Amino acid sequence: MSDDIPILRLGPNLMVTLQGNLEDTTVEHIERAVTHEVARTRATGLLIDVSGLSIVDSFVARVIARLVAMVRLLGARSTIVGIQPAVAITLVELGVPMSHVRTALNAEQGMALLREPTGR
Amino acid sequence: MTVLAEDAVLTMTINGEADLLHVRSMLRAEAQRAGLTLTAETKLVTAGSELARNIVRYSTHGQGVASVERLHRNGRHGVRVEFRDDGPGIADVEQVMRDGYTTGDSLGLGLPGSRRLVDEFSIDSAVGRGTTVVIAQWSR
Amino acid sequence: MGYAGAVVSDELSYYQQMIDNITEYEVIRLDDNGIVQSWHAGAERLTQYTAEEIIGRPVSVFYPPEEAASGRVEQDLRIARDTGRCESEGWRVRKDGSQFWASTLLTPIHVHGTVVGYVKVSRDLTERREQQLAALGAEQMLEAITDYEVIRLDRDGYVRSWSPGASRLKQYTEEEVLGHHVSMFYAEEDVRDGLAERELATAAREGRFETEGWRVRKDGSRFWANVTLSPIRDSTGELLGYVKVARDLSERREQEQLVQRQRDEILELSTPVIQVWDKILVLPVIGTLDSLRAARLTDGLLERIARDQAEVVILDISGVPAIDTDVAQHLLKTVEAARLMGTASVLSGVRPETAQAIVHLGIELGTLRSRNSLRDALQLALQIVGGTAAEREPVDV
Repeated sequence: MSDDIPILRLGPNLMVTLQGNLEDTTVEHIERAVTHEVARTRATGLLIDVSGLSIVDSFVARVIARLVAMVRLLGARSTIVGIQPAVAITLVELGVPMSHVRTALNAEQGMALLREPTGR
Repeated sequence: MTVLAEDAVLTMTINGEADLLHVRSMLRAEAQRAGLTLTAETKLVTAGSELARNIVRYSTHGQGVASVERLHRNGRHGVRVEFRDDGPGIADVEQVMRDGYTTGDSLGLGLPGSRRLVDEFSIDSAVGRGTTVVIAQWSR
Repeated sequence: MGYAGAVVSDELSYYQQMIDNITEYEVIRLDDNGIVQSWHAGAERLTQYTAEEIIGRPVSVFYPPEEAASGRVEQDLRIARDTGRCESEGWRVRKDGSQFWASTLLTPIHVHGTVVGYVKVSRDLTERREQQLAALGAEQMLEAITDYEVIRLDRDGYVRSWSPGASRLKQYTEEEVLGHHVSMFYAEEDVRDGLAERELATAAREGRFETEGWRVRKDGSRFWANVTLSPIRDSTGELLGYVKVARDLSERREQEQLVQRQRDEILELSTPVIQVWDKILVLPVIGTLDSLRAARLTDGLLERIARDQAEVVILDISGVPAIDTDVAQHLLKTVEAARLMGTASVLSGVRPETAQAIVHLGIELGTLRSRNSLRDALQLALQIVGGTAAEREPVDV
């Protein structure tokens, strides 16, 4: 199922990259694939790289927030990395509730955040 | 998707989810043509994506039309987009323009959220008559 | 001298009837001295004289007095007699003194090799002359307009007339463009878009279409043009073509952009982002924040965060005279956007009255941390950068 979705395994963590102009069905497909992959691999962390997204509308934001919540129920932590400046201010103006998601500037810092002993 | 080449206004029919991609690409190209800042461009494309999705989700058969018009005023350039559908329409426009109102499975951010992203926003809707939303974004 | 008049035959009466039926022309006979000998309806219509009033009078009464006095009539008759015809155009005078522009042909009548009189055929060309003058005037007007392109397109958008202004603007000569489609002046991406056809269609539908956009000169260079398209229709409303007026706004656009750049630079100066330490930025907010400055501040800060990969940003508001709801909301949005990018914010320089205002306004502070002075804020920032990643997230979920 995850054949066409770039999910990378990095030690105990998984990394998924979202990029380009995404159709809603693709986003939902990724959500399912990643959830299954986290369960299958028993990963403890998930890095969601969105640096390749030039827009994140409320649908995509909602799916990402949902993914973070589901992954948490599977016992793993998530960090979103690489939100573009224009995307960040757009999400704030749009009013998408994202306060529960952890973010980092880049994959490296995201990994560091996942390695922190604090949290779940 | 069809781009009708019979008008100075670029018109695009919205028929399904795949057309969201076309609306985004078209708005991005028009925003860059008008010289909008990256932030203004991103907000316009995002608002357009929300409004096009509303058409796909809530209008009759998920069909509607997006029309783009190029604006020039006092040396500033802008992009105006009209999203029109002949769907069921909205009974209480004021209510849906409030944050948190939701129909179907939407988060209810579509309309009020889009309004916050653009320089100009207007909505015209009535039950049985469909909905028309017009947004515009200007260069500085 | 009465010879011609005395010849009466059936043949002649047919001719007279024919002439009587000509109403658009004056066809009269003069004797060898230029005295009017015959008259008919067409002549009366043209000059208002009846036969009784005019027969027997000299042809010079039809000429303006100054021309008659200059011997013009005698000269024309002589030319007709000597060369077989005399054609002329000029002002002629009606009975009421009004003038009309006429073309006149004088031919001699010969009897046995002797000129016994003349046939004079005249036609009123006033209207045609007016039209010619008007056309000439319009043409000269177009010639004189060099700052604008004024050209005509046919209904399908092919160039049918060119003007000096158009040559100046686009560098093409008339031969190079006549018969070509107007899209030859459009930028490549607009040609692909079918923009020219859409603009013509809109002009035809709306009665007029004005736009601004890039157009291309012969040498391939682009200029920013203001273009107006107006449809030309015949009396039945059938579309015949378009008049296209264009001018070069490049200079104005450049000036606008220069002003814009200067304004940006001033805004840039008024919202400077300073890197005070590795991964730590300070944004000293000084003066009143209007919405334009506030938006610019946010854009500038977020872009700088991305460029420097800054982990902490200190927003120093000690230089802001008053924090109202809008400014406070804007600052908090900026803080939230920075957080989404993965950057922590520290507020510094909050004065007691500002603190009161923010709390009284009921603004949700969220995860925002604040320090009284810039020094304390920097100390906290260094702690965050040097410490564990968790310290970046004061409320860890």
